[in-house]
Amino acid sequence: MGLFQHKKPGAPKTPQEEASEAVVNYIDETFKDELRDFGRSYFEKIINDTGALFQQDLNTTIGQVNVQLQDHVTKQLDVAIAQVNAELKDSVAKQLENQFAEYNREMKDAQDLALKSLTDNSEQLQAEYNDLRTTLQKNVADQKVTLTNVFEENKVRIAQMKDAQDLALKSLEESAEALKTQYAAINDTLRSNVANQEAVLVSAFEDNMGKIIEHYLLGALGDQYDLKAQLPSIIHQMEDNKQAIVDDMKL
Amino acid sequence: MSDVEVKTHENFILPANVVTKIDVSRLVTEVERVDNDMTAAAVRTKTGASEQTQPILSEQLSDFLHRNDLKLDAGQERSAIIKQLRLLKDKAPVLHMTFAVTADTESLQKLTEWVRATIHPQAVIAVGLQPALVAGVYLRTPNHVHDFSMRGALEGRHGLLVEELESLRAK
Repeated sequence: MGLFQHKKPGAPKTPQEEASEAVVNYIDETFKDELRDFGRSYFEKIINDTGALFQQDLNTTIGQVNVQLQDHVTKQLDVAIAQVNAELKDSVAKQLENQFAEYNREMKDAQDLALKSLTDNSEQLQAEYNDLRTTLQKNVADQKVTLTNVFEENKVRIAQMKDAQDLALKSLEESAEALKTQYAAINDTLRSNVANQEAVLVSAFEDNMGKIIEHYLLGALGDQYDLKAQLPSIIHQMEDNKQAIVDDMKL
Repeated sequence: MSDVEVKTHENFILPANVVTKIDVSRLVTEVERVDNDMTAAAVRTKTGASEQTQPILSEQLSDFLHRNDLKLDAGQERSAIIKQLRLLKDKAPVLHMTFAVTADTESLQKLTEWVRATIHPQAVIAVGLQPALVAGVYLRTPNHVHDFSMRGALEGRHGLLVEELESLRAK
């Protein structure tokens, strides 16, 4: 080190000189370089430390700024939302009021129209009622006249019917007399017919009796003749009809 | 021998024991049988078998051959006879006779003789039985019926019987 290389023994020197000389001896190039290096490293260290501190402060500051900014933004947003809500509420309320007003107006118009229709119908019904009443009164009057006429006519007819009944009674009495006469005639005819039927039945009985006798004869005679006994008679009858048989066989 | 030399069915004389159409059919069948037997026997003779024997014929066929002067010796003649007999069977006029009692053979033969002598020489009879006829015969020809029965006679005289009964009642 140069710090002890420039020291000269024997001459008294003042402190200042000694200090200046010491400073000159002390601060040589090497020392400067060392100082420079030391200063540089120290400065770098300070810069690094300061930078770290600055970085830390900056991070802290940025965090605080973020928090503050977040708070600020949140407040602003709340204010804006509140404002928008208020405006939306006002707008919806306004629109609803308008629509309610329109609906009320339309309902009123419809009610007025219905009322007018009811009034018209009522007037029309009243008019029809009046017409019907007039017509009914007229009809009643007509019916009264008609019934009076019918009653008069029926009176005449009843009188005529009474006359007709008298005539019918008379006719019935005459018919009864005629029936009595016819009954007597039918009685005579019936007696005559019964007598005729009796004769017919007797005739039928005789006829059936003839058949019974005939049947008896057939049964009694049937077994009495064999073919040999009948043969002459058969040939005789065939001989009598020979020509007809021959003609038929030649066809 | 040709067909011209054999009698035709129109010239055949039927014997009295051939009465009905069935009898004619029986003749045809018998001649066919005889023809088959004799042809077979002839073949056997040619092949050196025993001597040919005469076939046994029924009385009806014998009488028929005898009355018509026919013989069954030649094969061609037999064929011609079969052919003519078949024609006779188909074309012989038929008289349907219904009797009240069963007809005996003798009476039928007499009737057949009379019919063939009087009506038609090849006529045959179809016999029926109807007891309700009482007596007589109910004759049916191809186009007519002739009621010669007692029932028919009584039916015609029914009115007379009734009149007699009425007269009896009046007494």
